[in-house]
Amino acid sequence: MIEMREVSKKFDRFTALEKVNLSIQKGSIYGLIGSNGAGKTTLIKLLAGIYLQDFGEVTINTEPVYENIGIKQKIFYIPDQPYFFSQYTTKQMARFYKSCYPSWEEDRFQRLAEQFEVNLNQKIHTFSKGWQRQIAFILALSANPEILILDEPLDGLDPVVRKKVKNLLIHDVAEREMTILISSHNLREIEDICDYIGIIHKGTLLIEKELDDLKADIHKIQVAYKDGTPPDKLLLNLNPLHIERRGSVYLFIVRGEEAAITKQIRQTKPVLFDLLPLTLEEIFIYEMGDIGYAIKNVMV
Amino acid sequence: MFELDMRSRKPIYEQLVDKMKELIMNEVIKPDEQLPSVRTLATELTINPNTIQKAYRELETQGFIYSIKGKGSFVNPNNQIKDLEKIDTVKKELEKLVIEALYLGIPASQLIKLIEELDASKGGGESND
Repeated sequence: MIEMREVSKKFDRFTALEKVNLSIQKGSIYGLIGSNGAGKTTLIKLLAGIYLQDFGEVTINTEPVYENIGIKQKIFYIPDQPYFFSQYTTKQMARFYKSCYPSWEEDRFQRLAEQFEVNLNQKIHTFSKGWQRQIAFILALSANPEILILDEPLDGLDPVVRKKVKNLLIHDVAEREMTILISSHNLREIEDICDYIGIIHKGTLLIEKELDDLKADIHKIQVAYKDGTPPDKLLLNLNPLHIERRGSVYLFIVRGEEAAITKQIRQTKPVLFDLLPLTLEEIFIYEMGDIGYAIKNVMV
Repeated sequence: MFELDMRSRKPIYEQLVDKMKELIMNEVIKPDEQLPSVRTLATELTINPNTIQKAYRELETQGFIYSIKGKGSFVNPNNQIKDLEKIDTVKKELEKLVIEALYLGIPASQLIKLIEELDASKGGGESND
């Protein structure tokens, strides 16, 4: 279990994170999404024990993370640009990680290298960006970490490799209850695999919820009426986050329970009525719009 | 075993529940047959195991499956729930059609008459759905 309590972090006078409370259950795949510069990477680096927070507590299994070797041996972090020692081959890098991680599994490393068809004796910097990322995954999974932290993980991977990597991640979550934290801009990419979502903006965590609950709580509604406009009373009751008119069809984004909303709308006898769940991308856009973050800036 | 639509707006967990129900109702998975384990299904479909767990829990509360600790989940042979579920779906479909009919200007009295006629003929010959 990963926990952050009232965590703040400043760089000079710039506040990167302010009073963040976050908790990630064991075996969960947690998606961290946010605008650019929202503090995602800072948050990740705090969890990985790379930064020390100014205030608050960052704990994993109730132990503080920073400078805690025992905990850090259970975490593997792949940054948005995977880091390897210069001039190192995959084999040399593996030897290094083997010395850091007691849970390293040499067998698995060999199997993964074979599966991804990586030449272990080639210097890593001579590989393409996508290949380097694959190597990072091979090394990470061979270390059998309890917690895997991924910053923009699937960037630069082709669809086949992406599927392969996702499958491996899922496998480890299912088999050994590995916990994964993923930060990404590609919301469609993480929508399939995450069960928990945190939305971060300007250093504060706006929302932290189960993905299904997040989706069950917000709806896209299309309605049309015989006389053209929806009754004022309905609008007052629904209090939509967003209203759009396309010809004679109205589009609302409404928060609330599906059954209650359906009932209210049915009572007004619309000639057309559709209620759809939102995609994660849309939820992000409207939630951010709600707090005044312009939509055009966050299109993915 | 089956495919889910990752592009669909419908939450994966709901898709899973519906797909499983369909398979159970059509007896593709037979009563007392074991469902694939959470792990197998997760790797097979590349879906978060927690999502599958949740879907199984939902199916269990709805009475479609039962689980035996340490063994897995199995299809509940009790048909009652399945029938209730079927009645529910048919009702919903009917509701849609009736609304459409009303909007098309068919008077309600005519629809009621139609139902009464169908009900009367049901007793004589083959039953209608």
